[in-house]
Amino acid sequence: MHPPIGPAWAVWLETSAPAVAMRQWLWLYPAVEITHIVGFVVLVGSAFMFDLRLLGLSRALPVSAMAAHLLPWARLALLLVVPSGVLMFMAHATEFSTNPAFRIKLILIALAFLNAGLFHRWPFRAVGDWDTELTSPAPARVAGVLSIALWIGVITCGRLLAYF
Amino acid sequence: MPGVIVVAVLILLGATPAAAHHGWSGYDSSKELTLTGTIREAGYEHPHGSVRLQTPDKTWVVVLAPPSRMENRGLRRDMLVPGAQATVVGYPNRTDPEELRAERITISGKTTELR
Repeated sequence: MHPPIGPAWAVWLETSAPAVAMRQWLWLYPAVEITHIVGFVVLVGSAFMFDLRLLGLSRALPVSAMAAHLLPWARLALLLVVPSGVLMFMAHATEFSTNPAFRIKLILIALAFLNAGLFHRWPFRAVGDWDTELTSPAPARVAGVLSIALWIGVITCGRLLAYF
Repeated sequence: MPGVIVVAVLILLGATPAAAHHGWSGYDSSKELTLTGTIREAGYEHPHGSVRLQTPDKTWVVVLAPPSRMENRGLRRDMLVPGAQATVVGYPNRTDPEELRAERITISGKTTELR
């Protein structure tokens, strides 16, 4: 009913077999949405718990141990989040490709990954110096605040995709 | 707070809610319309089904409910076909004069609530 009009690559994605199945199979779309939600609950939940530790909560827990426990789950969750997100994008590729909320969402995701990458290459290298019972260094606290803010922004954009 | 910023940025970017499919705020509920016509095209698709409804005045794009909800309420895919007569009650889109969001649809005497 919304004939796909847009860049050729988006039209191609939107008319592909998985995209058609997403729109026409009765329960595939909600199943993929549920997968996406479960995935980002684990991803963002792990990130938030780690960020709160960086900000000084539960100082008795070693930062390195929390990282070892939480961050692999955050990475594994990408296996749920990314394919389900790609499928939902394909189902409405022409609309989403021009949707401002979707563009901002991609930018915020890139910034969240960049923030995590910088944290691991810089303050986290010396985590042994501030692992337990100490205030995290300022760069680590900044990374924690940015992470929380960026992920809330990503979730906000994801939800607003349908409204803009 | 970041959510507020994102909303503000979207508004500044001039994003129109016209393309939105979710929610009812993009439709003017003070202007309830009843349209009767012939279905010219039908989409039993996620996230919302829709029909192109030809009325004596013009052809509307009528936005319906998610297919799983329509199926659940007895409006099957094979009832929503080109050539069928349909009456819809709904609200026009605030910015797209061709689009109507249907509160209910009646096809061959059977009325289905869509909200």
